[in-house]
Amino acid sequence: MQLFWLSVGFGFVTASVLAIAAVGLSLQFGITNYVNFAYGDFMALGGFFAYVLNNEVFHLDIWIALVIGSLAMGLFAVLVNRLILGPFARRFSTSHYLLIVTFGLSLIMLNAAYSIWGADVRFYRMPIASALTIGPLRFTRNQLIVIAIAVALMLAVHTLLKATRLGKSMRAMSDNTTLAMTSGIDTKRITTITWFLSGTLAGVAGTVLGIGEGNLTPASGELFLFVIFAAVILGGIGSIYGAMGGALLIGLATEISAAFINPAYKLDIAFVILILTLLIRPSGLIARPGTT
Amino acid sequence: MSEIGVLEPQGRPTRTAAFRCDAITKAFQGVHAVNGAGFDVPEGQITALIGPNGAGKTTVVNILSGAMTCDSGREFIGETEVTNWPSYRIARLGLFRTFQLSRELGGLTVLENLLVAPAHQAGDSLVNVLFRPGVIRREEREEAERALSVLDIYGLYRHRDTRARELSGGQKKLLEIARAVMASPKILLLDEPMAGVNPALIELIGGYILDLKQSGVTVLMVEHNLNVVEQICDYVIVLAEGRTLATGRLSELRENTEVVKAYLGEVIDAGPAH
Amino acid sequence: MVYYVFTLVFFCFDYFILAMGLNIQYGETGILNFAYIGFVAIGAYFTGVFSLHSSAGTGQHYILGLGLPFPVNLLLGGVATMAFAFVVALITLRRLRTDYLAIVLISLSLVLYDFCNNFVSIFNGADGLYNVPEPFAKALGLTVNSFIPFFACVTAVISLLMWFVMSRITRAPLGRTFRAIRDDDVVAAALGKNVFGMRLKSMLIGSFYAGIGGGLLIQFGGSFNPTAWLPGETFVVFAVLIVGGAGNNIGMFVGALLVETLLIHLPAFLPEIPGHPGLIEYFDNAVVGMVLMVMLWFRPQGVVPARLRRTSSFGVIARGDDASPTVSAHIAVESPLTGHE
Repeated sequence: MQLFWLSVGFGFVTASVLAIAAVGLSLQFGITNYVNFAYGDFMALGGFFAYVLNNEVFHLDIWIALVIGSLAMGLFAVLVNRLILGPFARRFSTSHYLLIVTFGLSLIMLNAAYSIWGADVRFYRMPIASALTIGPLRFTRNQLIVIAIAVALMLAVHTLLKATRLGKSMRAMSDNTTLAMTSGIDTKRITTITWFLSGTLAGVAGTVLGIGEGNLTPASGELFLFVIFAAVILGGIGSIYGAMGGALLIGLATEISAAFINPAYKLDIAFVILILTLLIRPSGLIARPGTT
Repeated sequence: MSEIGVLEPQGRPTRTAAFRCDAITKAFQGVHAVNGAGFDVPEGQITALIGPNGAGKTTVVNILSGAMTCDSGREFIGETEVTNWPSYRIARLGLFRTFQLSRELGGLTVLENLLVAPAHQAGDSLVNVLFRPGVIRREEREEAERALSVLDIYGLYRHRDTRARELSGGQKKLLEIARAVMASPKILLLDEPMAGVNPALIELIGGYILDLKQSGVTVLMVEHNLNVVEQICDYVIVLAEGRTLATGRLSELRENTEVVKAYLGEVIDAGPAH
Repeated sequence: MVYYVFTLVFFCFDYFILAMGLNIQYGETGILNFAYIGFVAIGAYFTGVFSLHSSAGTGQHYILGLGLPFPVNLLLGGVATMAFAFVVALITLRRLRTDYLAIVLISLSLVLYDFCNNFVSIFNGADGLYNVPEPFAKALGLTVNSFIPFFACVTAVISLLMWFVMSRITRAPLGRTFRAIRDDDVVAAALGKNVFGMRLKSMLIGSFYAGIGGGLLIQFGGSFNPTAWLPGETFVVFAVLIVGGAGNNIGMFVGALLVETLLIHLPAFLPEIPGHPGLIEYFDNAVVGMVLMVMLWFRPQGVVPARLRRTSSFGVIARGDDASPTVSAHIAVESPLTGHE
């Protein structure tokens, strides 16, 4: 029984990582209407930015490194959109090519990271974690901070979308880009801001993934990508709140399953859920109107 | 004009229904696009489907051709019920359609576009491709010759080897119809075949449609241009707010106050200008 | 020297086969199969376990182990890949739009990789299969050095056979139907084509090629493990396709030559840079990615663009460019049609 509650605790941590990542992916997909297959590499690179700040160059406290590293990743994402993705998106209306381009971007980023940092496993320099107990659940201090960050970010995104003009413009663009353009919304500016947000969230997700897993390699994000996809599809592709809900469910499901099956396969449970979602309810839990 | 590649002429058109639908409804996120449409389309005649904008005409065509499913209602082709059949099965029964905005198979040549149309090609089977190339070669040659005649009739012969995406708008419209004709349809649904087309071309297309009728094809066309309807259609179905409002000959419908009201001031009476 | 050249020759022809398989799926039918390398791996693994003998006592763990001779094991490997593709297609190909499908397939690729890496008892996990018997080696008394040129030639012959078959398919109405579905599946359905059935056919044919290509890989190298097929490797096959010219078979060969042989395998013979193991390989892969993007931007149709299929290829004698004189009623309106709108 204790194992079960331990798993639930881990579940919340994984769900936190997933939620941050899934929301970042969904925001960008909603605005640009194509999937960024290099997202896992955005996460890993963000994690490495934090690593450099934390353990190589500056020796900053991990949480400060996280903030700076993620913002840097946000800027990187804007740059990538300006130089590569944006031009391709404007030129090719068929999404085929764009998906291949992001796939290619993934290959480039992964190998660039390997070139710079090698394939060795890296560790963050963090204070030894002390255990805290909340009811039947047990967490380390770092895990609680991760969950707190996730909750804070979810609230921030919610507030952004519902209460600010920027958020309203983003929702308008996500529903109908052409209409938004003719309504006087500066779609180029919104796109840039969305990429910044997506990149920053990816950076946070990659760093907390490294914190949660205890280690970091250039491929960490890529290997996690399908779990993020599962969360997004379960929640309903295109829905931000669906992504949050999907992340919670998948996070809990994968960790709890580890108590029953060989833990090496716990992430693969996410894939099973993905397939089941496709077979039973392909539009996901919260379907966005206008999508398949 | 009977070499258009259609099955043998049906003889004198009868009043039996080539196909019909009954109480069709379709809603999109709570908004009823179609709300109880039902009508019979007489065999061997040219029937117009008219109505004000938003009446649900294109949705009905989509449903009848299988491109969309309906929420409720039934559809019959002859005696066979085809409600909610997928479009390829309905096509195999001989019902073909064109699209309002022409959809050419861009990467293929004009000739290839037509060659996709005939049903039951031996060349679609992998077994035949691997083991009976002679059969396929012969069939290809026959179909290609027929396709070239069709292209000839529709004035596209000289563009036979051009990639379809390079055609002009008017040429794409003609290709759209030629391609459907190549499939030897029994029933042809035309979605606004005259939309956005210059007057000379309208007359030309009108001529082609009359030729089709003469070969025994049943035609249902969605059309806004009431002059065209007056000139070539035998029978008219009026749709408004997703329901069948009235049916009959255009001359009768002009007197029908319901129909006039539905158009709300649109001029139905063609007047002496034409 | 001979060893180097023939290794390059092998990979060129092997990736020619792989590219033809992906081409029928993506180039001709428009299915964005981001899990392609997974199919190649299935082909390799099954070819291996069909030819290896029972696993007892070998220190490896794997299923089957039937000790079948070449080329029986290779063909069965291809069939096994088709069976896998069939199941995948049934679940994923129905009513999934392009990016949704790509997400699912790439996830499949990652999970399959994860699974084979961890689940040791099917294909020996991270160590992979090794000591796979070399075809005909005993019968012909080949040494390690003479096997390589020999098998490179065997692969070349097989690839040419497969090219002949693929040409037939793409030239036939079947190929045209695939292209129609790629261009507009709604129209194809409206014209009576069973779009799902056709896509399934395309997946099956392509996966057979993937399986054979994978099977040849394990036979050439005598071993196959997960590092050989990271999900990103699918991208290399896409690069072969797009650089060479999607939608046409000669392009596949050119692409295989340029990308696989020149870009990937030639540099593999460069000496390692001291202190930076693997750097050349990483750099190389990144370059492939960049080459693809440059190609997509400047020449998306590839080095060898897809050929236009002219009237003459259908066995009909064209009557010349003018409309036939018997259709006089319509000649007068030819002019409104040209330059219209």
